[in-house]
Amino acid sequence: MTLVVILGFSIRIPQIDILEQTARNLFLHVPMWFTMMVAFAMAFYFSIRYLNDEQMKWDRKAETATAVGLVFGICGLLTGSLWARFTWGTWWTFAEPRMNLSALAMLIFVAYFILRTAFSDEEKRAKISAVYNIFGVTTIPFLLYIIPRQLPSLHPGAEGNPAFSEITAPELRIIFYPAVIGFIGIAIWLMDIVNRYKKVKELTESRI
Amino acid sequence: MSNIFTQDDSPVSVDTLTESYSESWEGVQGIEQSSAFIQFMASDDLIWVVLGVSLIIWFILLFFIIRVDKKVSRLEKAVEESGKQESSGSDKEIQDNQSAS
Repeated sequence: MTLVVILGFSIRIPQIDILEQTARNLFLHVPMWFTMMVAFAMAFYFSIRYLNDEQMKWDRKAETATAVGLVFGICGLLTGSLWARFTWGTWWTFAEPRMNLSALAMLIFVAYFILRTAFSDEEKRAKISAVYNIFGVTTIPFLLYIIPRQLPSLHPGAEGNPAFSEITAPELRIIFYPAVIGFIGIAIWLMDIVNRYKKVKELTESRI
Repeated sequence: MSNIFTQDDSPVSVDTLTESYSESWEGVQGIEQSSAFIQFMASDDLIWVVLGVSLIIWFILLFFIIRVDKKVSRLEKAVEESGKQESSGSDKEIQDNQSAS
């Protein structure tokens, strides 16, 4: 995993030197969403694992994965908003389904953390938030893939057109895929750090 | 280079909203009348937008890392204090640890 992160850093840095125009935001804005998807998929997996054998470690991991996913999702929203200002001419528009539905998805996961603070009993909190998380992650493909593809949209990929496969230049792909892998590596690395922190914290608390 | 420009054009080619919403999409055209910040960002082939996007990602990730760092140092302090408390064993320090953690 360290190898993945090192790979991610060493490959991503030279790309930034050759950035010339906003088409190159593809390397930054799009991997944010890919990373968010991966993080939420991991949260989904950990939540199911928690409901399976009820060890607190799965709840910890699910919470961390959701937090990291939310951070990347917010990055994606803000970068998308800035990009939209200079290509579509507005910071935010309610005529763009993908933009609004991804904001809605973010709110679902903000609600996850609000839900977590509502319980003082740890096992109850873990169980209910795991169930909520499974429902929340299930909405993501609908909000971000299926509905935006049915509606007219300014994003590529509207009205059933292929979002990526035909209209992306091959030069961009050479950099795009390592960027995706790099950002996912960073996300997994962050999750690992936070998980280790939570584990150590739990150990010290039980010792005191 | 021409391939890169097709990427720029692609949102326009699928843009079915331009006709009905063209009044609300005038930000790029009316850039001369907008503020100095917007004008600056739109100069040099929009490279500053890319810079802005990468800075947003960088600062949000940095904020996240700093937050984790603060939590770790708080935990470190608690661990150190609990080590002291094992040697001295006073009740007050135990209470302090519990409120810190």
